[in-house]
Amino acid sequence: MPTDLTTWLHIIYSFLHDISIATYIGGAIAMEYVLGPAQSSIPPAQAQVMGQKTADRFLWLVWGSLGVIIVTAVLRLEKLGHLSFTDPPFFQSNLALTQDYGRTLWTMFGLWCVLVANGAIMTFYLRPRLAGKLKAGTSAAGVQASQQAKMEAARWVERITRTDIVIALVIALLGASLRFGGLL
Amino acid sequence: MDNLLAWLHTVGWAVYVGGAITMEWVLRYAQRTMPPSQVAEVCKRSGARYRWFGLVSILVVGATGLAMLLRIDDASLAGRAGHPELSLGDAYGQTLLLLTVAWAVLLAAVSSMAFWLHPAQAKRSQPEMTKEEVQVERERVGRAIRNMDRVLKLELAVSVVAVGLGASLHAGGLL
Repeated sequence: MPTDLTTWLHIIYSFLHDISIATYIGGAIAMEYVLGPAQSSIPPAQAQVMGQKTADRFLWLVWGSLGVIIVTAVLRLEKLGHLSFTDPPFFQSNLALTQDYGRTLWTMFGLWCVLVANGAIMTFYLRPRLAGKLKAGTSAAGVQASQQAKMEAARWVERITRTDIVIALVIALLGASLRFGGLL
Repeated sequence: MDNLLAWLHTVGWAVYVGGAITMEWVLRYAQRTMPPSQVAEVCKRSGARYRWFGLVSILVVGATGLAMLLRIDDASLAGRAGHPELSLGDAYGQTLLLLTVAWAVLLAAVSSMAFWLHPAQAKRSQPEMTKEEVQVERERVGRAIRNMDRVLKLELAVSVVAVGLGASLHAGGLL
């Protein structure tokens, strides 16, 4: 068993990083391909409540995972000596874009930013649209327009979730390649 | 080839562990406010898919893990942190053995869900059944759902421990 703090920190960062990636990828796949179809087996009103509850809860997991992934990634890079918090220019030479390792890592960071942007679109734009309630006295045309907007928002949520799954799988491929010096 | 194996191994674990976390933390939470009949329906439907996702991903983890183990040589081990050895006298080898045991437990858990616990949740009520027989059938299905819940909790705990053991391999092992 490791006896020094540095090794323990390395293990803890790796564990948190791996479990967050698993939560993001596995969670998105389970939400899209397991819970989604199961939701359609119950009456629509109850399915809507279930969809709202599962999505709200899952968004916590998504934001938590994305946050832990980037924090532990930075801490691991520092532990591996690729990054320094104190010595300028902070990034060591193997993180330069001229290196396979650097290119792969910066591509992963760019894709992580895309996941964050997609998460923000879902959380702050699409989810409120899906959850919007009708006011008393809304006309039939208003009800129909609202339903149309909700269906459109639901379609976008599905598209973005599937895109996120693909992006996360690409990030996992790039991450797996880092052990062998990078892929790009 | 090494890249592909490492990627498939990572994705296999991610689908398995992330799925287990989502089933426990998201689905169970949503079920609290649902009527029991709908809980049973959602359990049945989600379990029907989840068991195959779980089974395929744990088999991918096993196959890719074995392939990666067979490809490890002294040169690749020498470059790793902690200078590990592939022997039971070394923390790396011991951690790998424990990881294999955890994988076997997970395979047993997900197989029991796929081939026994989930099929047992199907109701077999018939119109000619007496009230007592219907009650017995309901209790049997209720027991099957409770057993499935226990196995889900066990697999979640074991899979999180397994991720910890796997993460420790980067630093030469945990034991």
